[in-house]
Amino acid sequence: MALSRPGRIAVASMLLAFAGFLTFRSTQQASLVFAQGSSPGLIAVFSPQSVYTVPVLQVGAQPYVGLMDLLEPLGSIETRINGKKLKLHFSSAGTRQQEGDFQEGKDNGKIGGDKFKLGANFVLQNGRGYVPLSSVPELLSRLGVKPVEYRPTSQRLLIGNVSERYTAELKKGTPSRLLLGFPAPVNPTIATEPGRVRLTFKRDPVVAPTDRVKYDDPLITGTTFSEHNGIAELEITGTAPLMANFADGGRTIIVTAAPGPPPTQAVQQLPVPAPQAATALPQPAPQPPPRPRFLVVIDPAHGGDDIGAAITPQLPEKDVVLALARRVQHELQAKGVAASLLRTGDYAISLDQRAISINAARPALYIVLHAANTGNGVHVFTEMLPPENTAAGGLLPWDTAQAAFSDLSGSVAGSIAAELESRKLPNATLPAPLRPMNNVAAPAVAVEIAPPSGDIADIASANYQTAVAQSIAAGVAAVRSKLPEVTP
Amino acid sequence: MTRRIVLMLTLLLVVAAALGLYAWYLHRKVTGDEERLRQEQQQVASPASGPQATVTLYLASDANATLSKKAISIPLPAERSEQARAILRALFGTYLHSGSPHPIGAGADVRDVYLLSDGSAVVDTNEAFAEAHPSGVLAEELTITSIVATLNANDPKITRVKIIVNGAERETLAGHADLRRFYGASNVAQLAKELQ
Repeated sequence: MALSRPGRIAVASMLLAFAGFLTFRSTQQASLVFAQGSSPGLIAVFSPQSVYTVPVLQVGAQPYVGLMDLLEPLGSIETRINGKKLKLHFSSAGTRQQEGDFQEGKDNGKIGGDKFKLGANFVLQNGRGYVPLSSVPELLSRLGVKPVEYRPTSQRLLIGNVSERYTAELKKGTPSRLLLGFPAPVNPTIATEPGRVRLTFKRDPVVAPTDRVKYDDPLITGTTFSEHNGIAELEITGTAPLMANFADGGRTIIVTAAPGPPPTQAVQQLPVPAPQAATALPQPAPQPPPRPRFLVVIDPAHGGDDIGAAITPQLPEKDVVLALARRVQHELQAKGVAASLLRTGDYAISLDQRAISINAARPALYIVLHAANTGNGVHVFTEMLPPENTAAGGLLPWDTAQAAFSDLSGSVAGSIAAELESRKLPNATLPAPLRPMNNVAAPAVAVEIAPPSGDIADIASANYQTAVAQSIAAGVAAVRSKLPEVTP
Repeated sequence: MTRRIVLMLTLLLVVAAALGLYAWYLHRKVTGDEERLRQEQQQVASPASGPQATVTLYLASDANATLSKKAISIPLPAERSEQARAILRALFGTYLHSGSPHPIGAGADVRDVYLLSDGSAVVDTNEAFAEAHPSGVLAEELTITSIVATLNANDPKITRVKIIVNGAERETLAGHADLRRFYGASNVAQLAKELQ
């Protein structure tokens, strides 16, 4: 079909305009990546296994979350990316493995062979899959994680009936007392202001029977429950200064009048009996002295902007070690060893902040995890400090605090190496100049995993990581009796 | 075809052409920047002059986590700190060869070595040494051990070594090994022995 000259110009214009549009669109897509990091936000996830946070990223106007960030702490997950397609295999305790398929730019996927509507397009960026936040409850249910309760106002995701609904009972008297009962021990931060006490629950999945309660009482006038940014807050208002005390091992919080200011000298000299109100003040149950306990702090190195080594262009060290840390925590807990993670999501912590947090936790053992794409197998490191600084006792120098624990750290490293050997995992034990390990006043080891063989991607395989995690846990369990329990 | 449609199409043509030109400009800019960076990284200063002398290098290998001694002949200046610098540049040169068992970042170089009367040596490396160094506990440790052991092997008066980058102290080499401290030669010698 022959076209006239204006027609040819029109067709050429349209083709060029389309090319321009594609260029513009690709620029727009790239800019999404940067927009994601601009205002992250977080959702707090409370599950029977762990409490953790997941960054919320803005893609356009839609909030998204990373599949790995969301699912990793809940079970075993493996993903494979093929072009624009992502295939995942996920299983959590007591459920059979589910298979999911998603494709970049498509608003539906498949889980277990059945169609699944996401509500907005699936996003694949830098080797990570992102799903709309609104699809998360249904997605988790379809993957066998249930029941799921998402509380959008507070950005809290409660999984597996973990919610703790409190009760409030006002005991009228002089002064009145408000007894707050919780089904499990809670550990809120408590802030007092004139006429109010605010309890902030960051790690307890507390929910309220009623958001706002008013009391007809001369001292305590009401409570207000609110949720925001992954936390819950309970504010108790009164007509006088209030205070809060824990009782019943943290299951009860008693709010009542704060003691008045200390009497003046003249008043103290007066031979008057103690006021009746004083005898009515609640006597919080005496807290038993803290008992020594054995806690392992696991530190997945790096995080946030500090990606660590680029294992592959799509696989940063920070992600590999976070997944490994969760496996190590799981294996230790399975052996009855209490273990906590220093980093539970993708955020940066400076070396000094890490050291401060570790020493404040007073662990019986500190394990920092690294990953590299050079060499192969597993390297277990202990401190490499000058021998003249190894004297223990008294205050320890910050830069060489670890030297005092050299022998115990060496025992742990040797035990882990023996377990790696028994599982036929290539390994070596060496000293290394590492911070924050040098600043840790507790037995400490660093474990760096490299690919087990020639294929770098195998470093993230579930089988390899589980074998390494089991070796670490077994190594720690074997020397547990040698390591002193520490009073928090 | 009306005049209005022709005008609209012409306008579209101009917009499309402008977008195309802009995309071409961006592509050219990125390519140019990458090329310039590559050239900057490859600019390593000329070797030192002086009579040929045999020096000992402690060479690292990532694959089996080892250090091995190797004697080579290089031109060696008369002054001690210049000698130390020349030896380290020979060490870096070995690592910068393609196929090195312990590659370091392209363009890595030693700017200066300062020797103090108490046996301390401060090695001032360039930015590329740290910025492009492979990241990992073992990889970084091997580099540091190799530098300290090589310096001590060729000048036993050097008893401790600190590495700085571009004239300033740096927290870690590439995210792992501590660069804020001095490394004692005897401490490192023990490790070097274990790695052989």
